[in-house]
Amino acid sequence: MPFSFGHPWFLLGGLSIAVPIYLHLYYRKKPVPKDFPSLRLIRLSVEAIIRRMKLRNLLILALRILILTLLTLAFAKPFLGSLFGTTAPSGAPAAFVVILDNSLSMGASHQGISLFNSAKAKALEVLDKMGPYDKAAVILLNDPGTMLFSQLTWDKSELKEAVRNVPLSAAGTNIFGALNPALKLLAPVKNFKRSIYLITDMTNSSWKPFLTTYDLSAIDKSLDLVLIPIGEGIPPNVAVTELGIESPLVLKDRPTPMWATIANYSIRPQKTRLSVFIEDDKKHDISIDLQPNDKKRVTFSCEFKSEGVAHVRAALPTDSLSQDDTRHLAVKVMAPQKVLIIKPPPDREGNITKEDLFLRFALNPLNRSQGATFNVESRYVDETVSLELTRYSAIFLVNQRDLPEPFVNNLTSFVLGGGNLIIFCGSRVDPEWYNANLIDKLGGKYLLPARVFKRVGNAVSKSVAYQLTDLDTGHPAFKIFGTDGNGDPGKAQVYEFFQVKPDSSALVLARLSHGLPGILEEKRGQGRVLFVAFTADTAWTNWPLKPTFLPFIHQSIIGMLKKQGLNSDSILPGTPVSILLQEEGLKKVELTPPHGPAQELPIRKEGEGLIHFSTVLTDQPGFYKLSIERSSGIQTEAFTVNPPPEESDLDRMEIRKVPRFIAIKHTPGGTQTLGDKVALVREGSEMGISLLWILLIAAFLETLVANLSTEVGKKGFS
Amino acid sequence: MVEKTRRISRFLDPRLLASLTSLEIKARSIVEGFVSGLHKSPFKGFNVEFAEYRQYVPGDSLKDIDWKVYARTDKYYIKEHEEETNLSGYLILDTSGSMSYKGEGILSKLDYSATLAASLAYLMLRQQDSVGLVTFAEGVRKIIRPKTGMAHLKAICAELESTVPGGTTDIGDTLDRVAETMRKRGILIIFSDLMDSAETIISKARQLRTRKHEIVLFHVLDHHELLFPFDDTTLFRDLEDKSEIITDAFSLRREYLRRMQQFIAAFQSALRKSGIDYLLADTSRPLEASLRTFFTKRQAIGARIA
Repeated sequence: MPFSFGHPWFLLGGLSIAVPIYLHLYYRKKPVPKDFPSLRLIRLSVEAIIRRMKLRNLLILALRILILTLLTLAFAKPFLGSLFGTTAPSGAPAAFVVILDNSLSMGASHQGISLFNSAKAKALEVLDKMGPYDKAAVILLNDPGTMLFSQLTWDKSELKEAVRNVPLSAAGTNIFGALNPALKLLAPVKNFKRSIYLITDMTNSSWKPFLTTYDLSAIDKSLDLVLIPIGEGIPPNVAVTELGIESPLVLKDRPTPMWATIANYSIRPQKTRLSVFIEDDKKHDISIDLQPNDKKRVTFSCEFKSEGVAHVRAALPTDSLSQDDTRHLAVKVMAPQKVLIIKPPPDREGNITKEDLFLRFALNPLNRSQGATFNVESRYVDETVSLELTRYSAIFLVNQRDLPEPFVNNLTSFVLGGGNLIIFCGSRVDPEWYNANLIDKLGGKYLLPARVFKRVGNAVSKSVAYQLTDLDTGHPAFKIFGTDGNGDPGKAQVYEFFQVKPDSSALVLARLSHGLPGILEEKRGQGRVLFVAFTADTAWTNWPLKPTFLPFIHQSIIGMLKKQGLNSDSILPGTPVSILLQEEGLKKVELTPPHGPAQELPIRKEGEGLIHFSTVLTDQPGFYKLSIERSSGIQTEAFTVNPPPEESDLDRMEIRKVPRFIAIKHTPGGTQTLGDKVALVREGSEMGISLLWILLIAAFLETLVANLSTEVGKKGFS
Repeated sequence: MVEKTRRISRFLDPRLLASLTSLEIKARSIVEGFVSGLHKSPFKGFNVEFAEYRQYVPGDSLKDIDWKVYARTDKYYIKEHEEETNLSGYLILDTSGSMSYKGEGILSKLDYSATLAASLAYLMLRQQDSVGLVTFAEGVRKIIRPKTGMAHLKAICAELESTVPGGTTDIGDTLDRVAETMRKRGILIIFSDLMDSAETIISKARQLRTRKHEIVLFHVLDHHELLFPFDDTTLFRDLEDKSEIITDAFSLRREYLRRMQQFIAAFQSALRKSGIDYLLADTSRPLEASLRTFFTKRQAIGARIA
């Protein structure tokens, strides 16, 4: 425990310890000369007591220094247990911040006691000790952290009321997110006794990463950091920590493989049941045996009977932490996707190219009219003028020399509105026309992710073969090839391709073996454009003959489709959600939270016909439904909010491993209330009386040690 | 008498001597001598005073048989006499450097010893005993052979007056020399602070004692030596060998006094066992007290033997 002093100037009296040291040294140097009959007995005596004498002298010196130090300290009015005196004047009011942990893990109950209620009670006890001139604020410890007061306030009742009304959050624990604003609040009030009271359950999962990244010792030393741990022991907890779909695309009436991860955070084996619901309709009830501290991945299959967004819920029986017993997933169920291939026209001799053939095969290998993922339609560009492009999920633009202007305009609207365009090059591509009409002329609405230049290589002689390298296996188009056994697109050979200069915001997904970009992607508006610098047939490359071509085409389209709308997998409680939509015909957007009525969301225009809206009403885990009303009808989107899985692990960090913090352990029924302990830490305990007692004992000891020989000597000879 | 002694020596204090007139020196055991005195001769049958008859036993000299009694009684009787004889003594005075020490008192250890010696010489001479003087330090400095008569006192006092303390102490050698000098049994009165090897001193004293010499040892110590009343960090200088030592006297006192007690006790115990009188003479005590102690002890021993 640290010291502080009521009258720190008295500490200057500590210099007086120089006096005994000086005397000690002085008398060592100035002996009194004395004749003596014979030194024989003196020498023998000195030999016998020389070590004892040295020890005694040092002991006396130490006792004298101790006496003077104690005297000085006693005058300085010391307080044990507070650092405030170092900067704040004696009797200064206190300024403090109570950081109350309301993260998901605080929802646990152990032996019938709710950790969160216990934490709130302790926060109220801390606030009860607030004096009339003290200032305080309350910050909630969750992710990202919530300031209930933007500045320190004198109003104790307001602070207590705010604490009483704090709800349990489903969010994670971001200690830095709460500690940092607390430090900023206290930074200006240097004349106050400053402290931060952190009331938390000390979960390992939140403290460990925090301590590895944050240097607590760098915090201002004059500020007291007080830790009030909540709860004893680790309650057993079983949680659904993950819920997902194996298939990248969920099609209506198709069995969809799904999985869930169940974790047992306890030292005993657990037996539980996982129930899977689609829109409150129970589909599965799976019995699961879990070993201690075990995680099990459970797989099951679901069929979705209607298009649109479906709410899937995986639930376990309620246990000590009920908030993590259910996990939600929003599933976008689609009909088979329509894909349009705009094939190149026959050449002057009437020869048709084979790109269409290869692409159709790749998209629908079995050429099924029913049950295929993609319904493929091939057209020449002249036939597309009357087509409604928004009917298609993706359009392949294959080896086109030029395009009619109306089609270019339709294509631009299609892409910016959320459509996906895949461009394959070939011998008919005119780079000048492409650059002029698909980039320059369109201005900000350009379509090409790269400016096209000359052709490289010779597909006739095939003298040089290039390979695909630097594959971006993080991108959905190539992600599948990141796993061993799924083939290697690098084995394909490219003999000729267009040299391109990527746009600054374009992603290069693959390069050719001499480093030039081969495949690029760029997000344009709500849609995406994938550009392949070579042909879709075997004219310039042998890739269409390789087994990796088909999955590349599939995964590219699926990846583009998945990126449309909301990514509902990774939304944590309290995280803002925002969506960019085409303004065209948009009337209003309504959000329906899990337990509440629909609320209309404010919309902000972003220009270029785009609308942005966002919401922070994502505190509760569950299924959030978005109704986007347009003049053409109502579009439904959805997302789910799930608690962070790490909050389910209730293992606790040992207090001694947390540096800088002073821990106050308190169990109800003890002799001291938490408030008393807080006051002790804040003000310290007055040590003057104790020091005077020690002083008395030290003085007695000094007298005893210093006069021990004299007492014996006076007896002399009888 | 008082006026006369004052003239003889500064060591003869008239008041001291006056207080001792009623006292007599009596040897603890009977010593042999030629001159009639107050001391009983251990040898019977020669002259002066008849003691007793005893029956002849084989081994007695035939010349001691009283033939007159044989003529009357037809039995052999030996006629025994107790003879008054004079006491021959040596005053042996330590004059080493350590004896020059003078604490807070008036007299140094040497002065105190010399005064005691002069006083005892006076008393012995006055009762017809012969007395000599030996002064020593590293070795014997001066020997004045025992003589009787008050005129001899002047020689002794002159020597005491002229003695200058100095050198280290070697009692053993001195006692050897004295033993060679003393042909007949007598009393040796030693004045010393005994700053020599205790084993040597005791051993030599025992040797003298085995020759039937009476030995009295005045262990002369200053009050400061006995109480070590020093408090400061002190540079002690040895008065004999001039060596020095710096120490905290205050801290040393307890150990010093313990060792001093052991030192004295060792002499007391060893000498008593050998039949040697040991007297601790604290220079802070009045001389009369030391002499009274001496005489009281002598009288007690004499009475016990008688």
